[in-house]
Amino acid sequence: MYTVSGDILRERFPHRWSSCGSQLLEAMPFYHVYPGSRCLAIGTTGCNFRCRYCSNAYIAKEDPEIQQDRMYRLAPRQLVGLARKLNCRSIIFNVNEPTVSLPTLLEVAQEAKAAAIPMGCLTNGYTTVESTEVLASIFSFFNVSLKGISARFNKTYIGIDSSRPVLRNIRTLAQVRHVEITTPIVQGANDNEIDTIADFIAGVDPEIPWHVFRLLPEDEMKGAKYPDIHAIDAALQSARTRLPYVYFHNFIGSEWVHTLCPGCGHVVIERFSLGCGGDRLKRLLCEDSRCPDCGREIRLLRENACLGDI
Amino acid sequence: MSIAIVDARGWQNTLDLKTGEKTGAAGAVVEMVKGVLQRHPYPGDMDPGSNRWVTDTAFDLIDRYGPRFVFLTYAAQYFSGRYAPMASDERARMITDIFLEAERFINASGFAAIMVGTGDMTPFLGFIDATGIDGLAVCTHWSTRYAGLYGPSQEDMRRLRAHPHIEKIVPREEIGKLFGGSPEQISKVPEYLMLAREGYAFRTVSDAKKTPVMIPALNFHVPLYAPGHAVEAVTGIRRAIEEDLSERNVVLIVLEGIGVSEFPWPHLSCRNGTEWFYYEPGEAQYLTVTSGEHRFLDYPTGTGCKYLDKAEATRSYPYSGIFKSVPEGTFARTFPGKSIAVGNRSMFMHMVTGADLSVECFARNLYNQGTMAVIHREDKA
Ligand code: SF4
Repeated sequence: MYTVSGDILRERFPHRWSSCGSQLLEAMPFYHVYPGSRCLAIGTTGCNFRCRYCSNAYIAKEDPEIQQDRMYRLAPRQLVGLARKLNCRSIIFNVNEPTVSLPTLLEVAQEAKAAAIPMGCLTNGYTTVESTEVLASIFSFFNVSLKGISARFNKTYIGIDSSRPVLRNIRTLAQVRHVEITTPIVQGANDNEIDTIADFIAGVDPEIPWHVFRLLPEDEMKGAKYPDIHAIDAALQSARTRLPYVYFHNFIGSEWVHTLCPGCGHVVIERFSLGCGGDRLKRLLCEDSRCPDCGREIRLLRENACLGDI
Repeated sequence: MSIAIVDARGWQNTLDLKTGEKTGAAGAVVEMVKGVLQRHPYPGDMDPGSNRWVTDTAFDLIDRYGPRFVFLTYAAQYFSGRYAPMASDERARMITDIFLEAERFINASGFAAIMVGTGDMTPFLGFIDATGIDGLAVCTHWSTRYAGLYGPSQEDMRRLRAHPHIEKIVPREEIGKLFGGSPEQISKVPEYLMLAREGYAFRTVSDAKKTPVMIPALNFHVPLYAPGHAVEAVTGIRRAIEEDLSERNVVLIVLEGIGVSEFPWPHLSCRNGTEWFYYEPGEAQYLTVTSGEHRFLDYPTGTGCKYLDKAEATRSYPYSGIFKSVPEGTFARTFPGKSIAVGNRSMFMHMVTGADLSVECFARNLYNQGTMAVIHREDKA
């Protein structure tokens, strides 16, 4: 979060973290990045959205001022040191929106680059062209939350007028970085957009992994009905014919979390789904990023990840 | 094969508990358990109906399975007491309600009851920040009294020992001596175990967490309602269960977050550990109760050792929390009669009780995912 005094924009709470813990990449979720590895998952406070269903509302929506007594105070070097001590392969910003803490994240990126630790983030993608460039200079991989496309959905559930900036930024980021996309499905609100979103992704790059989440009714939507898994699965059938990496999860025991080879349909990565940030790798069957059956390349960000442009 | 049935509300999947793979397991018991899950969607950890869900689900299972031993855990008060500020009369009312709920079960089932509280709660006074050190301090989300310490520098030790809210720092060897563990067991515990003073909790590397309002007190003793028994320590509860079972059906009821100071029924004050160590609510405490021996070294709850486990990415029993095998020595595993367990504490009931059938909430960090049932044995049906 920022404050303006005169012409100067200043970060309000630099080097303060709401979370800083070791987690599996699959839990973020990143399904096509360093499978089975651990990351240091970090977050700050605040967000530029007000989604009605925010699972981290007590961090993203509450006044950051009143959260300060429970925050970690860690300089970027300490943070990167922790990632090393915990054998983390990467550092991932995942709790709130990274654009609210850009100066601090730029500092972390410098330290992380020196330690050869790549960084990734979850973002809502609602950023200016300039901020998107800054994000791309910090992070090597992104999971962008494309919550819905229609103005009506975005106004009612997210609090923004249009998804256009998000769509623009996905196009930009997908050209220069590894991108995955997440869409929480609110039944009766954006499930009718499943095909439109699939078309959009196919137009950008059909191999972008797409995480379709069953909404967990939290925050202002607590008490709402849990979306129907059978209905969403059926609605995804058409998308699956156009996009090879469609996952449907965020609930226990999902069976739509495995990666199939786009060439021959052979299972190349198996995962478990424990719901709500609990996914994990079960078996990686394409060690060299190729299908063991037909040899087709499987999109995976592994050793060749860049370390940002910082 | 142990079977897990997960229920995500309106959708179920049947899995091999050990491999996590989908299985086509079917049969009368599987169908019966699926029906129970369908009829009893979990309302959520903080929901006022959460404890009632335990009783109602247990009744449904009893009607269909006819167990001789029932293990119940009521935990709603532990979760809501931990995070929601509560006036003292409100808390008193909540505790009355828990005992009414337990009484409802006992009266309707006719089972002989043994009840144990996992310990008092105390107001949270503050965090002990153990993040900015040269070494590494770790603890799990729910742990407050203990944190593991690895590779501390001399300066770390000097600072931590001088910390006003750290009571003690115990080296690994001393922990091994206390519990008489094997070298392999001892290697699993941290180099040092740090102990917080009452009211304080360690802040180590962790996921985002809310600031607690109440945390477990220094519960060297916990309350035990076991009419007709003289039990001195939690390790003696199993014996009392066995004795009662020779004559009647028995229910063991665990009440989370209830200690000697708030337990309204006549009770014994039972030792909840040994020497300087006591059990915080969690896996090791349950296992100690169900196996009749100290199990801290098997499952060093709260020390955060899981974060340093490099083999964590692929593993057996993926739906069973920290467990990578079914623990040996739990009472229900060897009991020849039928047994069930139902609880709203966590996803470890099926592991710590060893009951033939168990039903538990599947909530992760208070996010309600649904429920899970585990069928360890169907041959007694
Ligand atoms: S974008 Fe994410 S963090 Fe921000 S309000 Fe929405 S769900 Fe919460």
